[in-house]
Amino acid sequence: MNRRFALLIGLGALLTGRLASAQEVTIGYQGLPYKSTGESNAGIQISDGVLLHTGIGVEAGYDTNVFYASTKEIGSSIFRFMPFAELTNATRTGATSNLLSFDARAGLQYRHYGNSEVSSRYSDAWNPNAGLSLSLGGAQFGFGVADVFARVEDAPYANPGNIDPVTGIPTGVPPIQRTNNQASIEGRWAPGGGRLTTVLRFTNMVNIYDDNGAGSYSYANAMTNTLMLDVAWKWLPKTAIFLDVQQSIVSYLNQSQAALNKLSDSYPLFVTGGLRGLLTEKTSAVLTLGYINGFYSSGATTGGFLGSTYLDLAFTARLTQLSRAVAGFRHDFANAVISNFAYQETAYASYVQQIAGRLALDLSGRYQYISYQGETADANQMTPSGGNRIDNFFQLGASLDYFMRNWAYIGVGYALLDNRSNIPINDYLKQQVFARLGVTY
Amino acid sequence: MVKTKLLLTTIFMGSTVFAQGPAPEAPPAPGGQGGSAVDLSVKQKPTLTPADMVNQSKEYFTGMGAVVKRIQTLQDQAKREKDIIRLNCVTDKLVQARVNVNIAEQSMATMQDSIARNNEGEQTHEFTRLTIVNQKVTVLGAEAENCIGEDLSFVGATRIEVEVDPNIPQYDPTQPGSPFIDITRPPSASPID
Repeated sequence: MNRRFALLIGLGALLTGRLASAQEVTIGYQGLPYKSTGESNAGIQISDGVLLHTGIGVEAGYDTNVFYASTKEIGSSIFRFMPFAELTNATRTGATSNLLSFDARAGLQYRHYGNSEVSSRYSDAWNPNAGLSLSLGGAQFGFGVADVFARVEDAPYANPGNIDPVTGIPTGVPPIQRTNNQASIEGRWAPGGGRLTTVLRFTNMVNIYDDNGAGSYSYANAMTNTLMLDVAWKWLPKTAIFLDVQQSIVSYLNQSQAALNKLSDSYPLFVTGGLRGLLTEKTSAVLTLGYINGFYSSGATTGGFLGSTYLDLAFTARLTQLSRAVAGFRHDFANAVISNFAYQETAYASYVQQIAGRLALDLSGRYQYISYQGETADANQMTPSGGNRIDNFFQLGASLDYFMRNWAYIGVGYALLDNRSNIPINDYLKQQVFARLGVTY
Repeated sequence: MVKTKLLLTTIFMGSTVFAQGPAPEAPPAPGGQGGSAVDLSVKQKPTLTPADMVNQSKEYFTGMGAVVKRIQTLQDQAKREKDIIRLNCVTDKLVQARVNVNIAEQSMATMQDSIARNNEGEQTHEFTRLTIVNQKVTVLGAEAENCIGEDLSFVGATRIEVEVDPNIPQYDPTQPGSPFIDITRPPSASPID
């Protein structure tokens, strides 16, 4: 199990970033840095082979549109801090034992809006997160378990139906409070010289929205169980062709409420194949093509040639030892909370540059075309002619951190979220700027 | 090794001479120096009886057999240790020893034949030949023991240095990605309760 997963969840994706799955690249605003960009030699050796990393970061800045409003945007200063601790058997230079690796981490994000109008309606948020991963085994057989937990609280959407005409703050709408836990267990088998590798993984994900009365998303609470079999054949040490089969069962926990909101259980199937790994010593790619089917139990389901096609193209170039560029495109579908599902076309790019082991620059952006499919219970989410909602979503993120010491940093960050929909009430433009400061050891 | 060979050869040649019995007294040197003269001649006629020669030859064969067996043991040992240098050396000695044993067998047969024919000269010749061959085999055995092999040329354990382009990522990019937790913000909605 990739150790980076837990770390990314802890620091990055909690905010506005999102993992681009193929390359595990976080797109959008990057969370507070976890460690120095250079050889940091950080970590407290608490016993033989066990390191404790800990730190705290503080961000202060301004949010131009707290409630993602299309009109009457409310801005506010924003303050966040996040302590974290991590226990790992990874060494200070990053290498771990081949036979056993573990990583346990926990963090907490505190968020406060400086605008009194905002903070009086939406109290400060405490967002805990935790991750645990354990991997056992050698070259031929391996076994891993992992768990990632996150709770996120964010301000609700403002729209003409819920906005206070005087303050511009939505009324009668609870904050979006979401708790997500994902556990997985996997076995790995690489017979002989390891050219053929097989991974069998079971993943259980529980997604819970708090039920805070009208306007909450609790009707979409769901459990997803996924069984994945991935077989890869390496014809070069770091390049493989693969076949990946994933079968999921998505069950809504409150069937009656889900049905009222036109959501139905589904059994998504992904059968994909392609190439993963290095193209040259400096470039790598993930080229995936396959068949997908949502198998929704009622209502609209995926179909047609494009609707049954999965495509993922991602290219990574390590331009120098201190810089990396990623570009990708993905066509797939995902469950939606306003209808059964949405087709998604996503293009993204990321550029990371380190300078002298002290400066770390991260630029990334994403464009997503989201076409919601199937019936929706919310009349506001349909066009006057009865058409489905289509969103064009842009996201940009930039951060620049300077490490004064290998355990102390100062930096700035910028985030942009821009949604353009065929239903104008869903339009919004949100920008955030931050100054940040922290220690991590 | 050369010194050892020389020493052993000298010793065994000496023993061959003694095995042929005491040399007849040399005629007095001209000039009549008497007892102060040194006898450097080699005795040409053995004092052993034919039966003694046969018995002595059988002892030689027992000894040569033991030497060949010992060299074979050394050869097996070198094979087990995969010491190719020592194996080559020991095998070379073994081949030479076997050839000498074959020569000895021929001499033994000829000597027995000459004894039957009461050919004293031939008996002595073949017995001398047998003795020399025995000495050669003994020397080969000693040389085989001294085959050193890799110990002599050992320069340390084999070390492989692999230089990997630092641009190549350390992780395995052929593995499937980790499952990612989906906590993206849901789209705006006005749910029905």
